[in-house]
Amino acid sequence: MSKKSKQKATGLLAIFENPGDLVNAAKKISGRMAINKVEAYSPFPVHGLDHALGLKRSWIPWVTLVLGLAGWCLGFILQAWTSAVDWPLNVGGKPFVSWPAFIPVTFECMVLIGGIATTITLFAACSLPRFDKPVLDHSLTNDRFALFVDRTDVNFDEKRVEEVLKETHVSEIKNIL
Amino acid sequence: MTDTPLHNLTRFEGSRLFKKFLTVLLVIGIGFFAWEMTQNAHRAWANFLINYFYWLSIALFGLFFAALQHITGSHWSVTVRRVAESFIAYLPVSLGLFVVLLFGLPHLYEWTHPHVMETDPILKLKTGYLNTPFFIIRHAGLYILCFVLGGKLVQNSLRQDKENNAHLTVANSRLSAPFLLLFAILYTLAAVDLMMSLAPHWFSTIFGVYCWAGLMYSGLAMLALWVIVLRKKGILSDWVSENHLHDIGKLMFAFLVFWGYIAFSQYMLIWYANLPEETPYLILRTQGPYQPISLALMLGKFVIPFFLLVSRPAKRNQGWLAFCALWFLIAQWLDVYWMVIPAFFEKPVFGMVEIGIFLGFGALFLWSVGTFLRRVNAVAIHDPRIKSALHHHQ
Repeated sequence: MSKKSKQKATGLLAIFENPGDLVNAAKKISGRMAINKVEAYSPFPVHGLDHALGLKRSWIPWVTLVLGLAGWCLGFILQAWTSAVDWPLNVGGKPFVSWPAFIPVTFECMVLIGGIATTITLFAACSLPRFDKPVLDHSLTNDRFALFVDRTDVNFDEKRVEEVLKETHVSEIKNIL
Repeated sequence: MTDTPLHNLTRFEGSRLFKKFLTVLLVIGIGFFAWEMTQNAHRAWANFLINYFYWLSIALFGLFFAALQHITGSHWSVTVRRVAESFIAYLPVSLGLFVVLLFGLPHLYEWTHPHVMETDPILKLKTGYLNTPFFIIRHAGLYILCFVLGGKLVQNSLRQDKENNAHLTVANSRLSAPFLLLFAILYTLAAVDLMMSLAPHWFSTIFGVYCWAGLMYSGLAMLALWVIVLRKKGILSDWVSENHLHDIGKLMFAFLVFWGYIAFSQYMLIWYANLPEETPYLILRTQGPYQPISLALMLGKFVIPFFLLVSRPAKRNQGWLAFCALWFLIAQWLDVYWMVIPAFFEKPVFGMVEIGIFLGFGALFLWSVGTFLRRVNAVAIHDPRIKSALHHHQ
């Protein structure tokens, strides 16, 4: 992965003026032409784009669930061990392992560990932060939307892709070399 | 042609068989109540109180939800708001049932007996609040609020269907503010009066919120159930998509967690402080014969449905959401049972009487809401936010 990602991706960049056109083009390219190596760029989240690109649900919520539950257990065990095993502490005559008293900290540990784990996983999964990606077009972080079709995709056929893109309301097609 | 699927809106019509079924349930409910009155009047009235409070809370949820959507200017909920508004139809019935409940007060509340109030030094000091006339005034206040401000809210919404006037939406969002404020106070009083005063020595300052969490919990489930039924009948299928169901599901999940949070807060503070005037209520319920009920409540109202409803597909699948909604409604009943029954019996009582009276009240609720929906559009068709609601995405 590391070697491949260092190589500069080449292909066609179609730029659109509004998000609806982007979704329509994404449907055509990834749906009708079955090209998988497609990337969409937008200054804000566009509803229906994930579906049009054929993206599956992210696996990151599972990391949150599993590590959140792990944090829950850890928080509880930490308190039970410190107050009953390592240094037994009598608080108001209550049992050493008084679970109701442990719940708030247990809950906080779940939120803290689940939250931090999600952030770290997200950064790792997206290999962020990275600065080596070229700027394809300056308007993409401002007011325009784009679809990048990678040349290395098995179904990539430059002429066909260009034809299909021209059927949509594309405002500009850039050839990225 | 308009952008909304106006031409597709048909009225709700319950099948003949369903109406007969409701009549049978109502007769069963009345029958069991009357029969139990001759056997054990305490049990009959306790069940009457459980169901009175349970179904009243669901009906009040309808108005609360409508006011909440107006005051927040929500777009997503426009197509399901009318279903919530229709819950108001049960309130006149509930008022009638309250009059019936007044006959049961001496069976239910210790504080209605003057000799108890005079001999008990603590209760003597509470006489100013715990007396029958003031009890009726407080509860009547809730009904007046719901009929006057709540009725106006629903009336404006229905008028908009005919007049296509966007100003009515503005008027409703203005009405919602005083309604919600007064509702918070009066519902807290209703919870204290109907549920907490069963144990007149005991108090919990979080009790009103606890009951309100249950109101949202069961009300959202009832809303989800009605919306799904109307979708299956084809009335709401063009108006309510998986995205709307997903939002109702998210709110159900949110209030499930909220209930868990409030219930634990109430429990932990009493447990931690360990004060003799606060603990008897929980000792009675969490130890001895009622312990299984408390455990069932913790698992059945929080832990199990948490995992049933946590995932995204669970909230978007209408069959699964309907199953969860039924689960929620049963769990809420158990919660009200948990509040009422230990005040009367040393051991949990459960049998055909409990089920029969529950079904009788349920029949009244479904009948009144169904009748209301037969007469009005199931969607607020001229709400200015309707187009935005129809294009709601996640």
